[in-house]
Amino acid sequence: MFFRFLVLLLPAATLAAQHSDTALKNPFQSPDDRARGGAFFRSQCASCHGVDGKGGASGPSLASGSFRHASNDEGLFRVITKGVAGTSMPGFSMNGREIWQIVGFIRGLSAGRAGAAKGNAAAGEQLFAANKCTNCHWLNGGGAPRGLDLSAIGTRLSAVELAQALVDPSAEVAPEYWMWTATVKNGQKLRGSRLNEDTFSLQILDSTGKLRSVLKADLQEQTLERRSAMPSFKDKLTAQQVDDVVAYLATLQGAAK
Amino acid sequence: MKSLWILIGMGLLAQDANWTTYHGNYSSTHHSSLTQITPANAKNLELKWTFQAQSLEKFEVTPLVVDGVMYITEAPNTIVALDAATGREFWIYEHKNPDVTYPCCGKINRGLALHNNTLYMGTLDGKLVAVDAITGQLRWEKVVVDYKQGFALTHAPLIIKDKVLIGTAGGELGIRGFLAAYDARTGKELWKFKTIPEPGEPGNETWAGDSWKHGGGPIWLTGSYDPALNLTYWGIGNAGPDWNAKVRPGDNLYTSSVIALDADTGKLKWHFQFTPHDEWDWDAVQTPVLVDREWRGKPRKMMLWANRNGFFYLIDRVTGEFLQGTPFVKLDWASGLDDKGRPMRVPGKVPSPQGTVIFPGVQGGTNWFAPSYSPKTDLFYLNVWDDYSSIFFAWDQEYELGKWYAGGGIKAEVQSTRRDRLARRDPKSGYGAVRALNPSTGAKVWEYKTTDVSDGGIVTTASNLLFTGNREGNVFALDATNGKLLWTLYLGGQVVASPVTYLVNGKQRVTIAVGHTLYTFGLRD
Repeated sequence: MFFRFLVLLLPAATLAAQHSDTALKNPFQSPDDRARGGAFFRSQCASCHGVDGKGGASGPSLASGSFRHASNDEGLFRVITKGVAGTSMPGFSMNGREIWQIVGFIRGLSAGRAGAAKGNAAAGEQLFAANKCTNCHWLNGGGAPRGLDLSAIGTRLSAVELAQALVDPSAEVAPEYWMWTATVKNGQKLRGSRLNEDTFSLQILDSTGKLRSVLKADLQEQTLERRSAMPSFKDKLTAQQVDDVVAYLATLQGAAK
Repeated sequence: MKSLWILIGMGLLAQDANWTTYHGNYSSTHHSSLTQITPANAKNLELKWTFQAQSLEKFEVTPLVVDGVMYITEAPNTIVALDAATGREFWIYEHKNPDVTYPCCGKINRGLALHNNTLYMGTLDGKLVAVDAITGQLRWEKVVVDYKQGFALTHAPLIIKDKVLIGTAGGELGIRGFLAAYDARTGKELWKFKTIPEPGEPGNETWAGDSWKHGGGPIWLTGSYDPALNLTYWGIGNAGPDWNAKVRPGDNLYTSSVIALDADTGKLKWHFQFTPHDEWDWDAVQTPVLVDREWRGKPRKMMLWANRNGFFYLIDRVTGEFLQGTPFVKLDWASGLDDKGRPMRVPGKVPSPQGTVIFPGVQGGTNWFAPSYSPKTDLFYLNVWDDYSSIFFAWDQEYELGKWYAGGGIKAEVQSTRRDRLARRDPKSGYGAVRALNPSTGAKVWEYKTTDVSDGGIVTTASNLLFTGNREGNVFALDATNGKLLWTLYLGGQVVASPVTYLVNGKQRVTIAVGHTLYTFGLRD
């Protein structure tokens, strides 16, 4: 009964939370709750979001710790109960405890992202500066916009993933960073990353940092390589230095609150 | 009044002046005899008006248009009557659904049926409502099914004589589907056909144990009707659970089948199962396109069917006899069809705990969005998803009332519905195309390729125009004889609906839902 009551209370609590920092906290976060949440996730969520929570044909990844339609546990609770308009995400008629358990499991997919870093963050910060990473990357209000914004990268990638991104940056690279090249009919060469595409046109962030839209009809040819423009640091950094940079990146947790 | 007689004299008040049913006609050809807009003047099409939906759900409606009045549904269950000439609204009827309903894939509705100045709509909470088409007032409301068991009504009903036919969605929630007929005047139930036979009924032997109880077999798209045969044809959806098929050994009738029912009694005349023991979620929820044409030297009453499983079928719609089936997209789960139309399955191409890559992907070679047949060109037109696959997973799952009951999951680069605003998947992971097939051979006559796939339907006209739109937000007109692009406009939202064409004040118009807006086009007056 308590749980039903909790669900009934939620809309009012949601309204209140919008005007304060007192968003509802997940009351069911024990290991047992999380395990039960995992079981619910597998039966009710994994068809669309994947068994690993990293996304499927119908649902996006929930493993990054960043959600399009929720900014906290309460938001996740709301999305699961109400669904998301305009998408395939339905509202689920589970009881409040079950939903909180799923929320806990989803949170666990990205929890402790940065915790496992074993290097020296201060040394890593120096290496980061020495290698001029902000020539391409954006970091806390400075740098260049061509590469991934690293301001909160420590909340999004694990230490293993960060290390892989340094030594083998093309192993897993998001499509918006794939290398795109083209030759315009007048002979002009274009290079950059493809932000968006339809049958008639491409939207590009070119290698000079300029946004441009090109018509496919104006192109002689184009290529799209499923790899990153970022160089590998495998032979430029020692294993210890990689660990140090990873430790530094793990400290990047976004803007201070 | 004078203009009315002129219109009658010109033959313009033929049936095609209006768009009176979800599919435009009982044969579901999505073909119009209108010819004002032509391949020569289509480049001059311009926007006439828009209607902005308040709902942010997917806008899947195919409008009805009758004598200048357009009737639409806005998700989830709002009916709007508006002036087809200007887009201005006459009235709005809002059906209130409970907070929690059970649609699998969005709180959507695909449209209405109209009969004797009454509109009929199925609702997410399992009701059939009858609304006065003049006043927008509720005439009656009938509970079709207890929605809390995982049912939802999403498709436009079909009127046959004085009956309203409607089926139920819920194939991912362990339902047992059915099609039911109601008295159009009173809402009294007249017959019901259950898509999964129970013990004692023919076909139940195709289910192991009690698996039939939650065997799925949803209906979420309007069927067709042949008045001469008095048969109504409906596509039946997937078996449940979708991907863990080991719990339901057997062919699992009548899932992933077409059924032909006597329209008066609801009795089964024949069935044809496209995908026996469906393990891929390949609902046979496509439009039954009824065509009379020659087959091997003799006239034949046929049904054309491009199935989600990747095969294009010719079926005798009198008897259900399989005539021919040919792949229309890349597929690797079957090596072909035998002489009865049964797939010859490729071992190992089934969902698995570790995931199995299978072509076509889960959304199939095509899906529920309407194809078209033009008697002018004798071609069958459809939107295809080609050269794409999904990774199919299966796992054990117990049935629980009102819970998701799919027994597996899907990963795919091609999203099942547009989710991300920015489109940047690998073009090598699959493409979309409008394709014209020769019905006799299944051979591709032409195609118009697009970067992304389409969830949009097609309408063709007697002037050899083809209208459609796609997930990219492009709406376009092609020459139906050769696939040449004649007109296009970027409207910035996904098309998840079929276009319609009709006359208003004697002028031809084309209307299609894109994103959250209904757009109407015509030539400059």
